[in-house]
Amino acid sequence: MLCLEFENQLTDYIEGVVGPDISRQMAEHALRCPVCHETLSAVRSTVEACRVATVPMPSRELEARILQRTIPASAMSCADFEEYLTDYLDGFLPANLYHRWERHAALCDNCTELPGEVVRAIGACYTYIGEEQPVPVGLNERILQATLGTIVPHEVRAPWTSRTASWLRYWLDPIISPQLASVATMLLVAVLVLTNTVSADGSISGLYNKSLQLAEQAGGKSNVEVNELSDDLKQLVEPKEQKPAPAPPKEEDNQQKEQNKSDTKPTDTGKR
Amino acid sequence: MGAVKVLAISEGAELVRRCRAGDGAAWEEIVQNYSRRIYNLAYRFTSRADTAEDLTQEVFVRVYRSLDQYDSKQGDLQNWLMRLARNLIIDDYRKRQRTPHDNHADDLADHSYHLHSRTNTVQQEMERRELGVQVQAGIDKLSPDLRTCVILRDIEELSYQEIVDLLRIPEGTVKSRINRGRIELAKILRRMKVVAMSET
Repeated sequence: MLCLEFENQLTDYIEGVVGPDISRQMAEHALRCPVCHETLSAVRSTVEACRVATVPMPSRELEARILQRTIPASAMSCADFEEYLTDYLDGFLPANLYHRWERHAALCDNCTELPGEVVRAIGACYTYIGEEQPVPVGLNERILQATLGTIVPHEVRAPWTSRTASWLRYWLDPIISPQLASVATMLLVAVLVLTNTVSADGSISGLYNKSLQLAEQAGGKSNVEVNELSDDLKQLVEPKEQKPAPAPPKEEDNQQKEQNKSDTKPTDTGKR
Repeated sequence: MGAVKVLAISEGAELVRRCRAGDGAAWEEIVQNYSRRIYNLAYRFTSRADTAEDLTQEVFVRVYRSLDQYDSKQGDLQNWLMRLARNLIIDDYRKRQRTPHDNHADDLADHSYHLHSRTNTVQQEMERRELGVQVQAGIDKLSPDLRTCVILRDIEELSYQEIVDLLRIPEGTVKSRINRGRIELAKILRRMKVVAMSET
């Protein structure tokens, strides 16, 4: 096989569409001829590179240009573009306006740089926030003079009562305030419960009167109990003297007693 | 922002209570804490140091006379103070706009934007200050309505609703003015840079 014939068959050979005889002859020639061997390798690598090569993305203006040429009515005006600029930066543009806005930003030479400039202007304002001027000399004194009537504010003092109250409040508030609320709540609940359960009419005065009655009753009862207790104690303390046994009652005394009982019965009946 | 000492709600309420009781030291503490911020707010609206000083003094006089109206339950002292200050400064700004006078910033009249060759840190500091001056000059060139909205939004960092409540205009108008103000400011700053570059 000659080199010319090898080159003519090269594409079909690489793609594998030649017959077995031609394929064998092509292989033998490539082994014998270094030039054709190099050509075969170069073409194979080139074809492979073409297969894996990526297609570059088109520019953003391409789509915008196509739409502007085909449906020019959908293009946004420069006035509308500026009108929607802040909404675009804030992310508030609806989808249809968003794409139209971006197309205008891509195509319009007058408006392309504007969004970046506005963002830089906003950034400059934020930087300016930290650039505060110092207070002019004497301004604070003039303010004090206009309000207090003196540039020495310590000369103006609150009354001692107010200062004392402030001092007490400063030290006691953090301690008392949280507990006072709970104590006050508990006292309120206790009063409400007691007035409803003890007092006859549910009022504070009713509670007071009822408590007095209870105290008197308790006092009277305690006096009776004290007397009984003292009697018991006396019996325990007094010496043990054997008292004479009482004489057996005589029969005459019994009969007299029975007569007395029968006489007194009608009187007893009348008393009842 | 700046060197404002952050006071807790209870501390601010205590200071106001002491002021009401006649304690001069408490009032001095309030003045020292907030005079810088209020002065800077006034300066950003007026672009004049002397006008800003007078305005700051007026604000504090009004605050001093309004201390009885402060209620700690409605917010901390700083919020109440700044709300009052913004109201007064914006009212004063609007009055000044209705009165024709030389509205140009005297402090910025002879400013130069040249940047000289220096070391990195010094140059960065210079550039930062230059930027601040440029921003103030740019804001000064805006119309009053746009200037007010840009200052409140991008410098005072108020929300849209807070600006609506402060200026008593619809939210759509607020957004529109902020948008237009930012665009105008961007164009002004661009022109400044072009001028600066052409002069170097």
